[in-house]
Amino acid sequence: MNVLSGKIASVAPSGDLSLVKVDCSGILISVILIDTPDTATYLKVDMPVKLMFKETEVIIGLGSTHQISLQNKLDGPVTRIEKGELLSKITIQSEAGAISSIITTNAVNQLGLEVGTLACAMIKTNEIMLSE
Amino acid sequence: MIVAALHKKLWSSEGEMNLEVEFSLEKGDFLTLYGPSGAGKTSILRMLAGLLNPEAGSIKVDGKTWFDANTKTNLPPQKRKLGFLFQDYALFPNMTVGQNLCFALSKGQNAQIVEELLDIMELRAMTDRKPDLLSGGQKQRVALARALVPQPEILLLDEPLSALDGEMRSRLQDFILEAHQRFNLTTVLVSHDVGEILKMSDTMLVLYEGKILKRSTPADFFSNKAVSGKFQFTGEILDITQQDFIFVISVLIGKNLVKVVADESDIRNLKIGDKVLVASKAFNPMIQKL
Repeated sequence: MNVLSGKIASVAPSGDLSLVKVDCSGILISVILIDTPDTATYLKVDMPVKLMFKETEVIIGLGSTHQISLQNKLDGPVTRIEKGELLSKITIQSEAGAISSIITTNAVNQLGLEVGTLACAMIKTNEIMLSE
Repeated sequence: MIVAALHKKLWSSEGEMNLEVEFSLEKGDFLTLYGPSGAGKTSILRMLAGLLNPEAGSIKVDGKTWFDANTKTNLPPQKRKLGFLFQDYALFPNMTVGQNLCFALSKGQNAQIVEELLDIMELRAMTDRKPDLLSGGQKQRVALARALVPQPEILLLDEPLSALDGEMRSRLQDFILEAHQRFNLTTVLVSHDVGEILKMSDTMLVLYEGKILKRSTPADFFSNKAVSGKFQFTGEILDITQQDFIFVISVLIGKNLVKVVADESDIRNLKIGDKVLVASKAFNPMIQKL
């Protein structure tokens, strides 16, 4: 599991949902939750929170100018690659912290990923959990 | 309504401890006492039952004084209208199920209640059997029925189901809940099982070293403010297998075996037999009509 620390920068509730933006070392990460400041009291600006998401939900791209719906894009160099027969684990050192991703080994080969490659880790807003 | 103020010096494995608790319960409440061993849970049950006397304080039930240290009032256990169920069934081995229940009738009490309980607890088919021939779950059902024969107003449960396996436990919980509702009981349960506490009780006291740390609803206490995911279950790890750097963890949740893919960093502190929280966001699961 990837864990990043940050503090809440904004909360936009609508019905039962909220779009929460979390500031992780200056990078804003968006999270959608089935909670509002009424149901979860910690949803307040400046509250410290942890962001949690699985390695298997992190998408890897090259460059950072993708026309893509994903809101959370974190650039950084690849610092580690572990290749298995089917799956590989890539670690990217982003400004928000180290992020691991598990993608197919075929994808690693197609993208030509190596240690040092500048890559972009992307996470959908609905794949991130918050923890107080 | 129960109003209790219980003060007593106790000796636990950790040494001396001052039990100091005050609480009240409405008729029909289902309360769980929760806390580590040595927190005073069983002592509280024993004081309510009259098996252990507080040094100071009082117990009043529906305005009647059961115990008062100041006036030296102390109603004996048999005059307190309560039933007690322990982990140990304590059935008479030489008596049949029916005889075990009848033995609990008080003098002059109508035996109709025994018939009613045999039906409610689904014991009819084993009325003439002796306890030795029953399974653990059946024995505990008999013990529960027997505790209800004197038609108590308060039911005290001291980890009564902790020796039973998951499915049996769940059935017994249903029987206890049915009895609680049908006889309009006020029930106090000692339990460590989170699922059980959430299912059974509407309020809980969190105890630590003889003091009440918190009074809360189980949903609030256990609602895992820890993570925001709305798809959360607790389970037990049955197996961990590794494929390259990926770990597949088999977790028993209730009666269902589920598998969770985990990273090396997740499994560092995990071993087979551990209780774990399995969480996902409400966005992920698919739902289909069966």
